[in-house]
Amino acid sequence: MAEEARTENVVIPAEEGEQLIIQPLGAGQEVGRSCIMLSFKGKKIMLDCGIHPGMNGYASLPFLDSVDVEEIDLLLVSHFHLDHCGALPFFLEKTKFKGRCFMTHASKAIYRWLLSDYVKVSNISTDDMLYSEADLVNSMDKIETVNFHQETEINGVKFWCYTAGHVLGAAMFMIEIAGVKILYTGDYSRQEDRHLMAAELPNVRPDVVIIESTYGVHIHEKREDREGRFTGLVHDIVNRGGRCLIPVFALGRAQELLLILDEYWSNHPELHDIPIYYASSLAKKCMSVYQTYINAMNDKIKKQITMSNPFVFKHIINLKSMEQFEDIGPSVVLASPGMMQSGLSRELFEAWCTDKRNGCIIAGYCVEGTLAKHILSEPEEIVTMTGQKLQLKCSVDYISFSAHADYQQTSEFLRELKPPHVVLVHGEANEMGRLKAALVREYEDNEEYKMDVHNPRNTVGVELHFRGEKMAKVVGSLAAQKPKDGQQISGILVKRNFNYHVMAPEDLPNYTDLAMSTVTQRLSIAYTGTIPLLQFYLTQLAGDMEHIKVKEKPALRVFKSVTIIFDSTRMVVVEWTSNPVTDMYADAVVTVILRAERDPMPQKAVPRAIRVDKHHFQECMLDMIQEMFGPDATSKLIRGDKMTVTVDDNTAIVDLDTLEVTSASESLQSIVHTAVNRLHQAVTPLKS
Amino acid sequence: MTSIIKLHVFSGALDESPPCYLLQVDEFRFLLDCGWSENFDMTMIKELKRYVNQIDAVLLSYPDNIHLGALPYLIGKCGLTCPIYATIPVYKMGQMFMYDLYQSQHNTSDFDLFTLDDVDLAFDKITQLKYSQTVTLKGKGHGLQITPLPAGHMIGGTIWKIVKDGEEEIVYAVDYNHKKERHLNGCSLEMFNRPSLMITDTYNASYTQSRRRLRDEQLMTTILQTMRNDGNVLVAMDTAGRMLELAQLLDQMWRSTESGLSTYSLALLNNVSFNVIEFAKSQVEWMSDKIMRAFEDNRNNPYQFKHLKLCHNLAELSRIPEPKVVLASTPDLQSGYSRDLFIAWCGNSKNSIVLTTRTSPGTLARELIDNPQLRCITIDVQRRVKLEGAELEEYQRKKQDKGLNDSRSKIQQMTIEDESSDESEAEMDVDGLYHLKGKHDLMMKSEGKARTGFFKQAKKAYPMFHFHEEKIRWDEYGEIIKPEDYTIAEIVQPEEEVKKPEKGPEDEKMQEVTDLPTKCVSSTVTLDVNARIQYIDFEGRSDGESMRKILERVKPRQLVLVRGTPAATETLAEFCTSSSLIQGKIFQPKVGDSIDATTESRIFQAKLRDHLVTSLNFSTARDVELAWIDAQLNYIESDEPVDSNTLSEERNKKEKDSELIPTLDCLPSNKVPTHTSVFINEPKLSDFKLVLLQEKIPCVFVAGVLICDNKVAVRRNKAGKIQLEGTLCNEYYRVRDLLYQQYAIV
Repeated sequence: MAEEARTENVVIPAEEGEQLIIQPLGAGQEVGRSCIMLSFKGKKIMLDCGIHPGMNGYASLPFLDSVDVEEIDLLLVSHFHLDHCGALPFFLEKTKFKGRCFMTHASKAIYRWLLSDYVKVSNISTDDMLYSEADLVNSMDKIETVNFHQETEINGVKFWCYTAGHVLGAAMFMIEIAGVKILYTGDYSRQEDRHLMAAELPNVRPDVVIIESTYGVHIHEKREDREGRFTGLVHDIVNRGGRCLIPVFALGRAQELLLILDEYWSNHPELHDIPIYYASSLAKKCMSVYQTYINAMNDKIKKQITMSNPFVFKHIINLKSMEQFEDIGPSVVLASPGMMQSGLSRELFEAWCTDKRNGCIIAGYCVEGTLAKHILSEPEEIVTMTGQKLQLKCSVDYISFSAHADYQQTSEFLRELKPPHVVLVHGEANEMGRLKAALVREYEDNEEYKMDVHNPRNTVGVELHFRGEKMAKVVGSLAAQKPKDGQQISGILVKRNFNYHVMAPEDLPNYTDLAMSTVTQRLSIAYTGTIPLLQFYLTQLAGDMEHIKVKEKPALRVFKSVTIIFDSTRMVVVEWTSNPVTDMYADAVVTVILRAERDPMPQKAVPRAIRVDKHHFQECMLDMIQEMFGPDATSKLIRGDKMTVTVDDNTAIVDLDTLEVTSASESLQSIVHTAVNRLHQAVTPLKS
Repeated sequence: MTSIIKLHVFSGALDESPPCYLLQVDEFRFLLDCGWSENFDMTMIKELKRYVNQIDAVLLSYPDNIHLGALPYLIGKCGLTCPIYATIPVYKMGQMFMYDLYQSQHNTSDFDLFTLDDVDLAFDKITQLKYSQTVTLKGKGHGLQITPLPAGHMIGGTIWKIVKDGEEEIVYAVDYNHKKERHLNGCSLEMFNRPSLMITDTYNASYTQSRRRLRDEQLMTTILQTMRNDGNVLVAMDTAGRMLELAQLLDQMWRSTESGLSTYSLALLNNVSFNVIEFAKSQVEWMSDKIMRAFEDNRNNPYQFKHLKLCHNLAELSRIPEPKVVLASTPDLQSGYSRDLFIAWCGNSKNSIVLTTRTSPGTLARELIDNPQLRCITIDVQRRVKLEGAELEEYQRKKQDKGLNDSRSKIQQMTIEDESSDESEAEMDVDGLYHLKGKHDLMMKSEGKARTGFFKQAKKAYPMFHFHEEKIRWDEYGEIIKPEDYTIAEIVQPEEEVKKPEKGPEDEKMQEVTDLPTKCVSSTVTLDVNARIQYIDFEGRSDGESMRKILERVKPRQLVLVRGTPAATETLAEFCTSSSLIQGKIFQPKVGDSIDATTESRIFQAKLRDHLVTSLNFSTARDVELAWIDAQLNYIESDEPVDSNTLSEERNKKEKDSELIPTLDCLPSNKVPTHTSVFINEPKLSDFKLVLLQEKIPCVFVAGVLICDNKVAVRRNKAGKIQLEGTLCNEYYRVRDLLYQQYAIV
């Protein structure tokens, strides 16, 4: 029965596996199309789902075909940049993904407009389009929002997020599966700036940290120096009568620059005549998001909001289109795109680059092959969009406002968290390699703490092993007394989402929404014989029988669990409460009834029930022993309640009361023991 | 192992006084809410004062006076210093409630129970949380976790979950609203399952609401009728809680072109209206799914009002053309602009007055609700007037005296300081105080306010140079500022009845700067009430019916019923007893009672050996896996090598700290006891029918009995257990097999 089943070697279900696999589908030794798969204990989680900005169409997607999308339980999106959420509408609308998707409130609000802009701008052929505006709108329904620090549990996967600092709404996710904690930083920055807080330091220690490595081993300039240099440069350019062009990415760092400029202008009344233009319709759309999700920003902004909204700028003019722009005299223009591939920033640059009074300030991370990267090498000439060559006379400066962690921040962050495993993602192969080497070097002499640093390539999984410890809570009546050493515990183990509880069956409804229940069975069988006849047959089967009355009808109860009711002269009803044992008894009873029905005997012919008493059993046993070991093995008569069996000089003594056998020879003992017990079982009726 | 759970009631039990309870879990004491009634009842405070030093943490559930009103007094005057937990909106809006309450009181009377500084001090102590953010307490509260969960009713409204050792769950849920509203989602009580203790109110236990649409229509009709008759409507509302719901509703009504309301004026009048709306705008993520979606999809912020004008005093209001609908605080008509407007408008039968909340008994609003036929009432009218004639001279003379005294004491102080070698603490205190004073209110510096036309004019009318002379009294060491100095400086703020053209009350300087001597006078007047007075329920609480349903779902093991009339409490207690929902006790404490809800928490932890788990035979029922386990408890340290990779250091440490955790190990096979099999998770007959049909066994329901193939019947007997009946045939055994498959049998 139940015990037998347990002794079988049960195959461990796959989900009990203790292997944690971290597999980048994108952003493995590259920057762009962040997408990382986690799988542990049968749970599959995807982190981010971006596109590669340097590629088009399907080529820009992460390697989604190397996983079974249907099996993914959860998708967490860290922030609204295209390389982290760009493939999301495709993934949610055009794949078989059935899990749930989460991001923060601010990310979701900006995602909607950023991707809508991307759909409009990306001028690839319609067959190659990953998704349309309609897909984007539909995808909004499938995205759920979480607040920072809010804990959410989905099928045993618990997660919550910390602020990451990188852009508004950027989150670092802490994921806990069966006690193993994994931190995914997304893009993060540990430096507080004008509107965002620094990335938080989680107060729990993760077992694995998946961390960005964009800047490798670089170290950033101090914030004050950087801002000073920036405002100084802008001031110089407009002072010398020039126009200052700042190509920026529409959202994210641009807001930071605007805050800096707005404040600088407020402090310098002499500059009030010089206009600052901000040319991005997307940014205008998203300004209300910035004005609303103040709670995701730093304390300074939160305090300021009580007086006036800092994102209602006083000195910045929003530029709807180029027609609106009157290019007369000095001005400051922030225009997208940030790397001057095309669009407004390119147009303005081409118009202004020939005048040496003008200046261009590159404020962000530039990718190889773009004009922004090219002019940083200070060429003599540039090529315009139309193929014309222009002399580059204006000043070009590079001040990085990119909010990614540098080596110092990464190193400190990891030093605080001390994770046993670090997985590097989101970094160009060489930078990543350098960072790995630097981190390994940092801890190579440390004996107490060892950090494993991994930098997997795309689709290559890092396998980590966690032998999760299983803790069970013993509750209810089983735990009524203080636990003692060696105490036996028998009860039901309830496993839900990697939590184990042990309780007595009666406590089940108190601690779970399950209940113990019973099934009673009533089986009607045609029986035309008499009661004594059935009684006769039953006594041969069952050792205990009671005569009872059920609803004024005669009934028999055997094995203390099965009731046979004589319903009418033609029918008996067998009634019992199900469980494997009683089902077996009932089956036996049914067989007996069928036998009695088939083999009717007149009332008088019913023999007296055979009395199976000790004496009878002893006679049977003597016969059996003599059959087995020869007539000389034992004496013909039994004195007392002991019987001696002698075989080949070995002697076994059988206790007739307890049926225990003692002998010097082990083989004899077991032979006799088995024989005696089997005989007993065969001769005497069953008792429950 | 037992954990002690006790609850002491300061206020809010078997009556309608504000909630304030002391919950003790083992050594740790939580103050659950600390409301203060509209008339600032001191008896409760006196009682509470005795316990102030014992309180380890305060949990706030809503931002209104009823739930946190006594906080500034406790912090400022009783020396409460423990941490306070609240959600971000409760923090922000709570502050608004307190500022408005202070200002409303201050405008008409010498209010000295707490100052704005006390409010700031109190709110600085608040740890701001998000919903579902779990805080693990340290020190004395080791092993305790608190989590705020959405409760509806007001923005940021909280149901507190207190968990002891990850198992014992205490739920504090009062005034929750399970229904979705315009601006809020419903509460999330249904996620609880059998908490060990639930503390809930019975305020609405025997109350039935009309449907929301009817109430909305009633308000709409009242407004339309009054407007068309050229009358004004006063809607008495709270400062920043339920007001948000109604403000949004009204603005929507005004926006719809069919309503024909757009020609009339709509105004929000309280001392902090600008800030409240600003905060509401930045708390979209705390509001209903619908609002969040609207914002995400279209960037529509519902608190970007088109029609609702924000006013801060009666002068601003008077500039808005009549007829107008005014949402004014406070809801109880005891103080604030709503009282002023009530006095001004109640005599005119054209006007309408809408009450939205059943405030405490004894308040003016409640009196009007309870006696709808009341045609004439006598009330005290308090107002602040300028000092004149002899009084003014007296005042100035006193002030001079004080000045003299001050300088005298200053000299004394200085001599004392000279004597003391180290830095005097007194001096530090004064500095600290001054500092606080300087930065106090967020609302004060409001520049945004400067944009409204009224504000600028107001500024011109009252230049504020008086004050700098006062400042001369400060020297570099600071002087001993007697508390009286402060009080007077604050009280002397002229806010006269109708003519109030001075600066908006947000202006910080006003508190200290205005030095126009005023006094408060009080007179008793009898008013004819001719205006139409209506009570339309916009309280946003679950009604009795829903409360019972929610309790049925939650099924707490023990229940404490608080806040509600004795009759209501009795009704709910009766319901729980009769339906035997609660296994444990149902407590109905009264004010001043202490109850002991300690239960034996039968629980201990044990490690599961891997080979034990792998030997188990799991069967599934719903989302759980079940197995019968026979094991032996061992207190021996595991002999397996501890792999540093697998056990985090944290866990190791924890093990060492706490007592040794026993291990559950396999029993030797010959010692395994037998057990009776247990059938778990009874299927529904209707579900079972589907299973049978799938197996192509014809079956039909006949009078609640499932008849399969005309041979086998499956029914529920009187005890609700499933019974299988049939004649001996193959089908019987087939059906039985299928039935067994529906259970988890261990």
